[in-house]
Amino acid sequence: MMLNGKIALVTGARGGIGRAIVARFVKEGATVFAADLTAEGSMDRHDDDGSHFVKLDVTQEADAIAAMDHVRERHGKLDILVNAAGIEIEKTVEETTLEEWNQSFAVNSTGTFLTSKYAIPLMREAAKSGSSASLINFGSYDGFIADPGLAAYCATKGAVHALTRAMACDHGPEGIRVNAICPGYIDTPMLQSFFNGDGSGGGGGNIETLQKAVRDVHPMRTYGTPTDIANLVNWLASDEARYASGQLWVLDGGLSAQVQQMKL
Amino acid sequence: MRLAGKRAFVTGGRQGIGRGIVDAFMAEGATVTACGRGARPEGLPECVIWHCLDVSDPQAVEEIVGATGGTEILVNNAGVQVERTVTDSSDEDWDLVMGVNARGVFNICRAFIPIMSAGSSIINIGSISGNVADPSMALYNASKAFVHGLTRSIAVDHGPDVRCNAICPGWIETGMLDAGFDLATDPAKAKSDALARHAVNRFGKPADIAAMAVWLASDESAFATGQLFTIDGGMTAASPLNPGLF
Repeated sequence: MMLNGKIALVTGARGGIGRAIVARFVKEGATVFAADLTAEGSMDRHDDDGSHFVKLDVTQEADAIAAMDHVRERHGKLDILVNAAGIEIEKTVEETTLEEWNQSFAVNSTGTFLTSKYAIPLMREAAKSGSSASLINFGSYDGFIADPGLAAYCATKGAVHALTRAMACDHGPEGIRVNAICPGYIDTPMLQSFFNGDGSGGGGGNIETLQKAVRDVHPMRTYGTPTDIANLVNWLASDEARYASGQLWVLDGGLSAQVQQMKL
Repeated sequence: MRLAGKRAFVTGGRQGIGRGIVDAFMAEGATVTACGRGARPEGLPECVIWHCLDVSDPQAVEEIVGATGGTEILVNNAGVQVERTVTDSSDEDWDLVMGVNARGVFNICRAFIPIMSAGSSIINIGSISGNVADPSMALYNASKAFVHGLTRSIAVDHGPDVRCNAICPGWIETGMLDAGFDLATDPAKAKSDALARHAVNRFGKPADIAAMAVWLASDESAFATGQLFTIDGGMTAASPLNPGLF
């Protein structure tokens, strides 16, 4: 077991990717605090996955403080923090309201900041054991190249990428490694919402045709699963990754390795 | 004129991007020497000095570069491409593509750097393909990644006297672009699909690349070195998904 004896907290833990990370961490022997707005989360179901649920709205400073107090009282340290909470607004800059822009940054960027801010003292304690603590943010391949109609989302993820490098620089000497996972298209409720065109930026056509077209443009001819993401998160959380810090780890089936796929 | 009093040496100056750079440098007052693998191209202004030179030949490069006496601006533009995957590529393909695109840049830089004065500028033509892969262009893609790495190395090793940057062009309108569309099942559709992937809704022109080359050659860019400058009409800023899907 790769995470035996480690204490972990995962935000957005009841979303598509969050659930896979929690399940993997539990399987690898970690004590896991699953933090989300509700125990059911965005998938509207509660799994008894061996984790401890913590109510956390990542946009609220008081919630972040309370969640870390909860961990401190029980364990006095935190080895692993995964900032997986995120939302996306499917709109261009012109269509995005100020409220939507602020909400995007509140969850994706400020949320990453707040949870990290109050986790770092506990992670410093964990690092005193001799093995480094691991903080893992969620960036996106959209932080490098743009999907249409996702302006605020792209911008929030660019901010997460820069924050990742900044935290790695500031807290590396204290034994805290900081990395970001940058997923491409992963089969989650968020992706299905994007395909369904729940927001104003997407959809309209036949969903099966759209899904096939998206799969086909990937060199791997498929989009990823939450398990694919959890596999890399697990590695970055483990001591095998003890020299990995300050990096942005793109996991997208090769999508962004290629140039535009002209129909020639 | 931004390049008045400067000497410029441009490899692959016969046509396309190289010729665009030759013309732009002349317009800005530089004294231009160009080279290519064949005889002097028709229509090249008389004031441009022409050398027949295969940049992959180190001895020939040493002779011609030595005869120039030096340059303030060097543009490594000469390049070839072979459209094959790794498993389809032959040893001859490797020798050709790496010989011109990789060793050629090395040969020219090794010969010129010792005789370049302080404040000189080297401009290598890299490619977006050195960062993201064009399908079935394995050796070309790899050769351009070599150019990007060499660019940073020269900037680090030979600064502050010599600056070295690379320009990474996207799809530029040269004879080769239309030839590519002509091979498509439906050339008109292929062209409109490709255009839709460019934020500026057009392909590049040699002058677009030459404009950046002039800036990098000029003293205005005195603090720019070791960098890759992408000029692709926004193509690689966008996801490679089909336009119009969403």
